[in-house]
Amino acid sequence: MPSSLLRADHVAIRYDGATAATPTDATLAVEPGEVVLLLGPSGCGKSTLALAANGLVPQSVPAAVSGGIVVGDAIDPATTPTPRVAARVGMVFQDPDVGLIAGTLLDEVCFGPENQRLPVDEVLARGEDALRRTGLWDRRHENPDTLSGGGRQRLAIACALALGAPLLVLDEPTANLDPVGTEEVYATLRDLVADGDHGVLLVEHDLDACVALVDRVVVLDRDGRTALTGTAREILAGRAGELMELGVWLPVATLAAWHLREAGMPFDELPLTPAELTAALDAGLDAVPGLRPPARTEPTAAPSAGSAPLRPPSTAPSSDTASLPGSWRTDVVVEVEHLTVNRSGVTVLDDVSLTAGRGDFVAVVGTNGAGKTTLLRAIAGVAPPPRRTVTVAGLDPARANVRELARRVGFVFQNPEHQFVRYTVAEELAHALEVQRVPAERIAERVEEMLTRFGLAEHRDRHPFLLSGGQKRRLSVGTALIAGAEVLALDEPTFGQDRERAAELLDILAGLNAGGTTVLVVTHDLQLVAEHASHVAVLRDGRLVAHDRTERVLASDALLAAGLRLPPLAEATRGLTRHPEWRGVTRVSDLAAVRT
Amino acid sequence: MTDPFARTSSRRFLHRLNPLAVVTAVAPAVVVLVAVRDLATPLVLLVLATMLLLAGAQVPARRAPLAFGLPVAFTLVAAVSFGFWADPDAIPGTPVLFEAGSYRFTVASWLAGLGISLRLGALLAVVLLPGFATTGPDLVRAVVQNLRVPYRIGYTAFAAFRFVPRFGYELGLIRAAHRVRGVAGGRGPLAGLRRWTGYIVPLLAGAIRHAERVALAMDARAFGAHPTRTERYLLPFRRRDGAFVGACWAVTAAVALFAQPVLGLPIPVATV
Repeated sequence: MPSSLLRADHVAIRYDGATAATPTDATLAVEPGEVVLLLGPSGCGKSTLALAANGLVPQSVPAAVSGGIVVGDAIDPATTPTPRVAARVGMVFQDPDVGLIAGTLLDEVCFGPENQRLPVDEVLARGEDALRRTGLWDRRHENPDTLSGGGRQRLAIACALALGAPLLVLDEPTANLDPVGTEEVYATLRDLVADGDHGVLLVEHDLDACVALVDRVVVLDRDGRTALTGTAREILAGRAGELMELGVWLPVATLAAWHLREAGMPFDELPLTPAELTAALDAGLDAVPGLRPPARTEPTAAPSAGSAPLRPPSTAPSSDTASLPGSWRTDVVVEVEHLTVNRSGVTVLDDVSLTAGRGDFVAVVGTNGAGKTTLLRAIAGVAPPPRRTVTVAGLDPARANVRELARRVGFVFQNPEHQFVRYTVAEELAHALEVQRVPAERIAERVEEMLTRFGLAEHRDRHPFLLSGGQKRRLSVGTALIAGAEVLALDEPTFGQDRERAAELLDILAGLNAGGTTVLVVTHDLQLVAEHASHVAVLRDGRLVAHDRTERVLASDALLAAGLRLPPLAEATRGLTRHPEWRGVTRVSDLAAVRT
Repeated sequence: MTDPFARTSSRRFLHRLNPLAVVTAVAPAVVVLVAVRDLATPLVLLVLATMLLLAGAQVPARRAPLAFGLPVAFTLVAAVSFGFWADPDAIPGTPVLFEAGSYRFTVASWLAGLGISLRLGALLAVVLLPGFATTGPDLVRAVVQNLRVPYRIGYTAFAAFRFVPRFGYELGLIRAAHRVRGVAGGRGPLAGLRRWTGYIVPLLAGAIRHAERVALAMDARAFGAHPTRTERYLLPFRRRDGAFVGACWAVTAAVALFAQPVLGLPIPVATV
């Protein structure tokens, strides 16, 4: 039997200057031909362990590593020179752009072997093999900048392969990608491990995308101790309850089935993919004839799916809003009329018209480059649109005073750091009110309120940049809202965050939304859309191809036509043949409320 | 050809030269253009540089207006606008071209403006030569191979090129973010300074984080692991490169010495 590609025994890593080690006691192995998924709550040391696999920790990032890490036969990555480790372990990072330096794809993949001082023939052979395995050989003379996000991440995989590494370590490789790009990357990895000579160690939060590919799962607990190890099915399906207690996300299909099992539906074992859920539901629903599909509840105030099991079942479903035709149109807060935006000769938005009412939660979806962010920025006046094309909270962003606009419309950027302008958290919150010339005592009062509401009271005197990622995000939402914005626009609020932080933010948004704030969100996370949005606007190549209530959009083919995918639960229920009355179920939070 | 995959399309002679040769060949012309004060020298150099570009380099059709039109267009337009700053009576008695109120724009004004704009236009035409004939990567390779600059420095500079557009994009985002926060307040240099200092912290924080990630990614690809690395593109400094440099230097010297005496154009009075 060939030796393991990677073995880690009781590994503890403490960065220089840190007080505690994370991970504290990690044990795992990766064999040729398998994909190992490393799971754990945020801050448990997953990424650190990934960096230690090829010696970047401690060779490039100073740290104390104890326990044993062995790569291949007997290479210790902590002490072996980098090029020798690089020939055994290839790294792929979240942002594919950090690795790019060359002008063509071929030069890019050859860069690593050239650094290893291989002869020219060998360099080219490696480059060709790596590009062929990732399906990029035909584009070898193109500039990497011309590739899509998924293409660039496949190029990053090719670069790691060209180094000759049998083990690939990928740290959230699809966090920046749209669904199609994500599928591309995982299809590439699937082909790669199918040959049997490569292995993959994967750190990933989006389990729905990767679960079909994963052979084994290793779960770290909050302290970075290996808590569970086993096949994907043993762990994700068999130990679902323990994973949820650890704060680890489950595939949507598994989570949905978990709720149905609580409601009395029998499952031999919990499904992992939408297709498995479809089969299990069609068979299992016969056994519990008393189980009725959940009535459609208002999506707004529902807590995020992750915290759903901790909540009491939601109460009285409200009437279907379809019975109140046009009721929301009487109170229009956002109105876009024939908005066209050109940027350096390219039409980014093409004749877009839509309206949103008070208290709506509108999700703007589309593939990368479809014009989502441009639309959101035009509505919020971040990039002022042409005159008389947008009305938001009674103002035309093209003409309105910036201060007046900032009071009525809050905008939260993808990276919260971009919008911090002051030196402490409290000043940061006070800023928007000072700009509006609100009296000082009123400001102090409001700041206190916000600090408490967003759990930032103990950090009031810290510099905003020194907060954790989740705290920064909460602060940016707080600053956008403190002046009483009626409309809150968020650009990819869950981008680059783990699911736990995302759930925390979505709970805040749901609360605001229930209080009458209109929320506009640009996002790639379609299950998030299904759970929270009241309306969905679908963009394709700058055109608005669908805009309707969420359940209608999910029941149509608009998402697929725009190059997107259905959210996992909707995909599973749509395939039901024997129980069509369950086809409209798209929200996991609704299933939490189902009881026999 | 050591690389069977390299593009082998028939390329014009400037592209086949060592990039260092092209840069070295035009360097004296740049110095001359900074130093001279007449009209004839920059005029001749502008014409020669444009002809050399036309004859020796493959200029994509999309870029042709930039390559051949911009130096001339700049010279003509800027001659007038620089002329506004000049003393209209520097050469007494020259005809008035136009006047508005008490302001007169004379031939002397125009000559003075042309004196500056023609030098800048010619400078543009000259630096466009290496601009179109070489690429950044090739220049880095040539510097590493011919001048024995450590490849770590060369390629790091190269990676830094990729930072520039990213910073531009990031700065645009930060400015938009600060504007919607209502920081726009106030005009004038002080308010401007305050605004820009506000951009520095987020920009630097982003830059440092990005640089750390790039450094990790480069380490992971064995960059800098050995004192040398395999070069697939060999860029030797051949005899023809030396000949090209020599010829260009000789022509530049001849132009600097004889252009003005032969052409005898009027000398602008520099009063700007």
